[in-house]
Amino acid sequence: MDYIISIIPQMLLGTVDTLRLFFVTIVLSIPLGVVLALGRVSSFKTLRTCISGYVCLLRGTPLMLQLLFVYYGLPFIPVIGIRLDDFPAAIFAFVLNYAAYFCEIFRAGIQSIPKGQYEAAQTLGMNYVQTMRRIVLPQVLKVILPPVSNETITLVKDTSLIYVLAMNDLLRTTRNLVQRDFNIMPFVVAGVFYLIMTMVLTYMFDKLEKKFSVYD
Amino acid sequence: MKKIDARNIIKNFGNLEVLKGIDLEVNEGEVVAVIGPSGSGKSTLLRCLNKLEIINQGTIIIDGETLVDTDAKGEPKYASGEAATKIICKMGMVFQQFNLFPHMTVLENLIEAPVNVQKRDVAEVTKEAEILLEKVGLSDKRDVYPRKLSGGQQQRVAIARALAMKPDIMLFDEPTSSLDPELTGEVLKTMRNLAEDRMTMVVVTHEMGFAREVATKVMFMADGIVQEQGCPEELFTNPKNERLQAFLQKVLH
Ligand SMILES: Nc1ncnc2c1ncn2[C@@H]1O[C@H](COP(=O)(O)OP(=O)(O)O)[C@@H](O)[C@H]1O
Ligand SMILES: [Mg+2]
Repeated sequence: MDYIISIIPQMLLGTVDTLRLFFVTIVLSIPLGVVLALGRVSSFKTLRTCISGYVCLLRGTPLMLQLLFVYYGLPFIPVIGIRLDDFPAAIFAFVLNYAAYFCEIFRAGIQSIPKGQYEAAQTLGMNYVQTMRRIVLPQVLKVILPPVSNETITLVKDTSLIYVLAMNDLLRTTRNLVQRDFNIMPFVVAGVFYLIMTMVLTYMFDKLEKKFSVYD
Repeated sequence: MKKIDARNIIKNFGNLEVLKGIDLEVNEGEVVAVIGPSGSGKSTLLRCLNKLEIINQGTIIIDGETLVDTDAKGEPKYASGEAATKIICKMGMVFQQFNLFPHMTVLENLIEAPVNVQKRDVAEVTKEAEILLEKVGLSDKRDVYPRKLSGGQQQRVAIARALAMKPDIMLFDEPTSSLDPELTGEVLKTMRNLAEDRMTMVVVTHEMGFAREVATKVMFMADGIVQEQGCPEELFTNPKNERLQAFLQKVLH
């Protein structure tokens, strides 16, 4: 027990790095996903094709590979070749990857709204922005809540991939402790930490889903 | 006073000619019933009137204001965005599938567009909406979500929602076709009351009883052409067009 208490401060420090990556990724990738989804359902064919290509590429290759490519590969690309620090590199890869997933979730959500809803709005004189904001998006929100919840929980666990960039996130901190102390207890504690984070998220999304189920 | 003056409406979907030069004139207070076999272009005609479909050629004048006209080159020219919206708001539309907004209560459905499109005062619009709900017999449902209502109730809410915009004209596209038979009566009664209040109406319907008793004029469409039109008495008892005779044979017997 004493041992567990003694390692908790270090593990909390690692958790801060994990949470930082989590929040920044969510805050940036969701709006980007919305913009991509709107482009994906727009009437511009070239735009639609470009976005589906992007989505295909980022969903079709491992996030780990994308992470390594951004960190180690980008500097070698002519002209734009820039070297990013580990945290910005991680953010960059995570946001691009998660925006692709969110784009697909939002696209499916937008396309699940029947044509009749747009037509009713149009006959009531609503313009595009009013129709989207007042009629379509509130209904989309309800449809996408479960898959967004899933994706968000996956992100908590995916953050552990950044240990390959030698960042001291929760997982790397844990591994260091295990190797230093020849004790597997840190693994258990890390498991509990991840579990708490995902359970808090699950609880919040459940609340949201209940709020949106009033009109069923 | 002509409320709807549509001339030579031509509408194609790709190679499919759906409307082949339709004329439709509706005077103030008239109730025009549009009948005809399915696929004859009845819905498309209604949808052209409020710009849910873009016509290929023709002229549509609503309450004296031009929604679309055809220039010398044969290209349709629509009124600009804001002007078109104003014209479209003169017409209320009732769909076969109701198309209520499921995430809003009955009252919210009614006041949404008057408040956010017409920018009218919420309190005033709410008061009017409550009167409309009373008219369609749904006062007790004002805070209920549409999914909790029967089809007939939903359609009556849809009618009230359209009326909340204070339209001059009401368009109905088979308003009772997706209802159970025992629920059509309440919707038809609401429409009858509207007609008695001298609302100008265009009603696409398979309810021949309604067309016969309520309409001032009946229009029979087939193959994208108005085959015959006239007062209901004449048209139902003494049809001249062969296709109309065959159609009436089928639906009345
Ligand atoms: N959006 C569309 N795209 C292609 N064809 C359509 C479209 N809407 C209607 N049609 C076709 O136009 C014809 C007339 O349809 P419609 O106006 O719905 O007939 P009605 O209401 O008299 O049954 C049908 O053949 C239908 O398949
Ligand atoms: Mg139809």
